[in-house]
Amino acid sequence: MTSAGARKGWRSHFAVQQATLLLAIGILVVTVLAYLGFFQSQFQRMPNDYAWDSTITNALPLVFAGVGQGIVVLTRGLDLSVGGTMDLTNALAATHMTSSAGGMLGWSLIILAIGAGIGAVNGLLVTVGRLQPIVVTIGTMSILQGVAAAVLPQPGGSIPAAYTDVMGNTGSPVGVVFVAVILAFWWLLRRRPLGVALYAIGNDPAAAAANGVNVARTKVAAYVLSGTLAAAAGLFLAAGSSGGDATGGDSYLLASFAAVVLGGVSFRGGRGSMVGVVCGAGVLTVLVSLLFYAHVNSLYESFYQGLFLIVAVLLGLGVTAWTSRTRRGGAR
Amino acid sequence: MNPMKWPPGRRTLAYSFLAVILLLVVGAILKPGILSGSSLRAIGELAAFVGFVGVGQTMVFLLGGIDFSVVWVLNASAILVVAQAAGKDAGLPLALALTLALGAVVGLANGVGVAYFGISPIVMTIGTNGIIEGLALGQSKGLTCGSCGSAPAPGLTAAMQGRVGGVPGVVLVWIGIILLISLLLSGTTYGRRVYATGVNPVASYLAGVGVRPVTVSVYVISGLFAAVAGIMLVTFGGGASLGLGDPYLLESIAAAVIGGVSVLGGRGHYIGTVAGALALVILVTILNAEQIPEYARDIIYGGVIIVIVLLYGREKRTA
Repeated sequence: MTSAGARKGWRSHFAVQQATLLLAIGILVVTVLAYLGFFQSQFQRMPNDYAWDSTITNALPLVFAGVGQGIVVLTRGLDLSVGGTMDLTNALAATHMTSSAGGMLGWSLIILAIGAGIGAVNGLLVTVGRLQPIVVTIGTMSILQGVAAAVLPQPGGSIPAAYTDVMGNTGSPVGVVFVAVILAFWWLLRRRPLGVALYAIGNDPAAAAANGVNVARTKVAAYVLSGTLAAAAGLFLAAGSSGGDATGGDSYLLASFAAVVLGGVSFRGGRGSMVGVVCGAGVLTVLVSLLFYAHVNSLYESFYQGLFLIVAVLLGLGVTAWTSRTRRGGAR
Repeated sequence: MNPMKWPPGRRTLAYSFLAVILLLVVGAILKPGILSGSSLRAIGELAAFVGFVGVGQTMVFLLGGIDFSVVWVLNASAILVVAQAAGKDAGLPLALALTLALGAVVGLANGVGVAYFGISPIVMTIGTNGIIEGLALGQSKGLTCGSCGSAPAPGLTAAMQGRVGGVPGVVLVWIGIILLISLLLSGTTYGRRVYATGVNPVASYLAGVGVRPVTVSVYVISGLFAAVAGIMLVTFGGGASLGLGDPYLLESIAAAVIGGVSVLGGRGHYIGTVAGALALVILVTILNAEQIPEYARDIIYGGVIIVIVLLYGREKRTA
């Protein structure tokens, strides 16, 4: 571990992480500037505070779902149950949440705990069950969608107005606070043994295990975090509308992957930062408004999103190849 | 590789057919009508659609990849084949050719992105899925274009729904495809290359296998068969609709997994996917006959996938 080669390898990994993070921030800046340009040409003025606040608030479900997905991707896994977890938590919030302060707080905590429980089941099936993450989470996704439909058969229910004021207010900078919370959470986690372990098992599970990292426990923790953050995303989704929808979370599955990719987190595991994922979620949210102000027919929306995703991942791969001299074999 | 153990994962193959027989027996006990001709025909037709998409998913799985783009390749193909032929048999050959080309081109893009640019299959196929979704919605103006609402060409419908000796045309097509793909996987050097690449791409590359062309080819096959599924499906629904492809991602993956195809690559066979597709459709038929609500079906579906992989899809202990 102390040889010059190993240290150089570590340093180049570090450089790669910074490079893709800088790329993610760069893409966010470019997207926001393009958005401002189209906005300016449309209204002959800059967006006001309300436009900013509502954009950030609308991004919250994807920010939280994306960070959860990103943490699992760091460990070379993936969580297809993110959308299903959001469906269920959204449905539970719409059907059970009471309008008293205690009721709102209590139900929020219960719902987050349910998300953690879902993550624990995923994590245990992957580790103790020795199953492929993709198969496990496709199974739990289907189960969660079914349970969500049972909880809330038709879109409806109600979300207390006070809850929307706190969690989904588009007229106050409350969204900024929640983005700061998730960034602070990541800053702390990254410096805890668990944060180090997440990167370690993503880079090389065997070496991590040999160095005393409990691989199984770390993986379970990653899925628990993903489930909890997806539950939070479901709560934000509920707060953003007056009622619930048991299929409202489905579209966040592919979007969470897109945020992870735009954020520069490698699907090979062990590389990337959740700061990048937050930027990626921001890019995807601003992109929708940008296309709107650019007068793109909304039917073509997914065309541009898909194209954007592939271009961004190619840019990321280009940057990675440029910063790291490691040559891959002919395979893949 | 021990030639006696060909194809890899033979034991799980036997299990998946056992599951089909077991489900048929359970179905026959709960609902004797399930073994009637019309019921078996319906099972065959529904399984065929899963089976068409399952061809691609199996081939891609064998290389350790996955194809999310089948959802909108299928849906776009359904729209294209209907809109291009505009309900007339005269336009059918061109419509079929264009639709199959669409599937192949998307598959080619996926394959090139994965094999030559090193893009993760998940990301690449999610990206192309979005691109095709946007194009399909935009070009058909949200399925409101002039010829989008036309019925499928009568010749196509007649061929797929017509019966030969009591067997529907679409099932006959499926049987032909099963034979073709089995021959391809088990009887050709191409098949051996697919398995070799799936087991160890680096070793295969060093042994002279064109790993990149093989990778591209499985994605092209996947795109092609998603298009075939789209063409077949329109003849049963009476036309194209939005969201037609949505169930087939989960179902094609589930069929392959139940059939013992490993998502890690190199293990499994299309015959297993065939059994998986049949098992899934029989299960749904039983659940429908028992009048189990839609949401419970989703729950049972997910539960069955997890239980089945727990039974035989577990990885070897590494520690």
